[in-house]
Amino acid sequence: MLIFKQLVFGLLLPAIVGGGLFVFASKSGRNQVEKATGLSFGWLVGVALGIGYIVGYIGLEGIPPFPPREGVHWLCYLALIGLILGAFWHFRRWIDVIAKLVVSIILPRLLLGSMFKYSWGQFEGIIWWVCLAVVIFIFWSTVRMSFILLPWNGWGAFVYFGLSGGTALILAVSGSLRLAQHAGILVALFAAIWLITLVSRRKLRPEDKAPVFPIGASAVIALMLAGIWMNGYFYEEVPASSAILLLISLFLTPVGQIAAVQRLGARRSAFVQVAVIALPVVVAIGIAIAFSGLFGENSGY
Amino acid sequence: MKMDLGRNLRVFSIGSLVLLLLLGFAGITQPMGVTPYEVDTAHSMILFRAKHNGVTYNYGRFNEFTGMIAMGSMDAGGHAKGYMVEFEVKAASVDTGNEKRDQHLRSSDFFSAKQFPVITFKSTEVKAKKGVEDVLEVTGDLELHGVKKSITVDVEITGRATGRDGESLIGFESIFTIKRSEFGMTYGMGGISDDIRLIVSIEAKHK
Repeated sequence: MLIFKQLVFGLLLPAIVGGGLFVFASKSGRNQVEKATGLSFGWLVGVALGIGYIVGYIGLEGIPPFPPREGVHWLCYLALIGLILGAFWHFRRWIDVIAKLVVSIILPRLLLGSMFKYSWGQFEGIIWWVCLAVVIFIFWSTVRMSFILLPWNGWGAFVYFGLSGGTALILAVSGSLRLAQHAGILVALFAAIWLITLVSRRKLRPEDKAPVFPIGASAVIALMLAGIWMNGYFYEEVPASSAILLLISLFLTPVGQIAAVQRLGARRSAFVQVAVIALPVVVAIGIAIAFSGLFGENSGY
Repeated sequence: MKMDLGRNLRVFSIGSLVLLLLLGFAGITQPMGVTPYEVDTAHSMILFRAKHNGVTYNYGRFNEFTGMIAMGSMDAGGHAKGYMVEFEVKAASVDTGNEKRDQHLRSSDFFSAKQFPVITFKSTEVKAKKGVEDVLEVTGDLELHGVKKSITVDVEITGRATGRDGESLIGFESIFTIKRSEFGMTYGMGGISDDIRLIVSIEAKHK
């Protein structure tokens, strides 16, 4: 019953809903290029990811309470905030920057309320708050940068599929199966988008090609990953080194811009780029497994 | 009219001092006939059991908790006056004899011990159970996993004695069942029962 629920509500349903909306968004996107319609491809992909996650969340956990009681409850609201913020990217740039800045500052205070209340002193809390706000802002910008720098075919979605898959695995071996299920919803969404991209983009003319994920999708992706990682590190037992390695993996995206890598040709340079991004994720998984004691004396119960 | 500022200040100071003393005295003293007891954690247990896969009962305990009990007086109608029960249990002290399982229980799948480090119970009403000697009906707020819910449990007074140092001892036991889903703990409902039985055995002493 438990596995059935996880498969249907945590994987299948978000994949169908998110994937379906992504197909609609992609068609609108192409129409936008060809017919200059008013629909924003960027925002619709964000909506596809956000709605896909919310459907999966409600399927697994039910409707979250408001105000949220625990860190996991915030994930549903982060998806909602992310898909709303996705609409801002094509407005004035300063509105977008301010929205990003405000959310980066507010997020640690909302999500880590218990840490501020029970674990951190006033000074320690402020230090953590400032550092986390800066890291979230930079990470969000890195996610945006990755949309442009990752190959504009299936690889782009594959990287996020791998990143969320690694996150799910690390959380599962670190003892939080519930949070792993939430990362699993992202896995299902990115897997669906990856497959759709692989199939649909083959027929596209080069001049119609655009990044798999438009800038408008960055809010949902950045907030969801940041929310799950913060929950995992601060409230669960995810090793610090694994959390840091997951975080820095996307910072390696510019590897594809190195002249020596580009000289390898499109396919090989994409492979090298993805392999370099995957390396810290694989190491992070290895560290989490080593810390988990899965293969020790006290391995099961 | 000339004001004697010095005299007025002296009267005001003495008056304030007397008032403060009276307020302080009222705050630190117990009402008449109320005996406060402190829970002796070395001789007390908070156990729980959950059914695993619908087959067996798995038991666990909380190793760290504190508590205060006040025993007041009972009127002819069985209504208690001055009775009070307060407990604070550290969620992270959960112990089922398997460290891997304890780690899982501390995670957000169950207790979310880092987000909700303390489980509390505070009584709101205590009365004698009709027709049963030495059994109290204790109603109070149980706050678990960030959810506060009023519960009513039967508490049996299991004994009274005088300790080696002349202190007054009293024992209680309460066995009751809660539904973890009502406290927002819904993970793994298929494998681990919703009904959690708690067995609380307390020795408390009055110095």
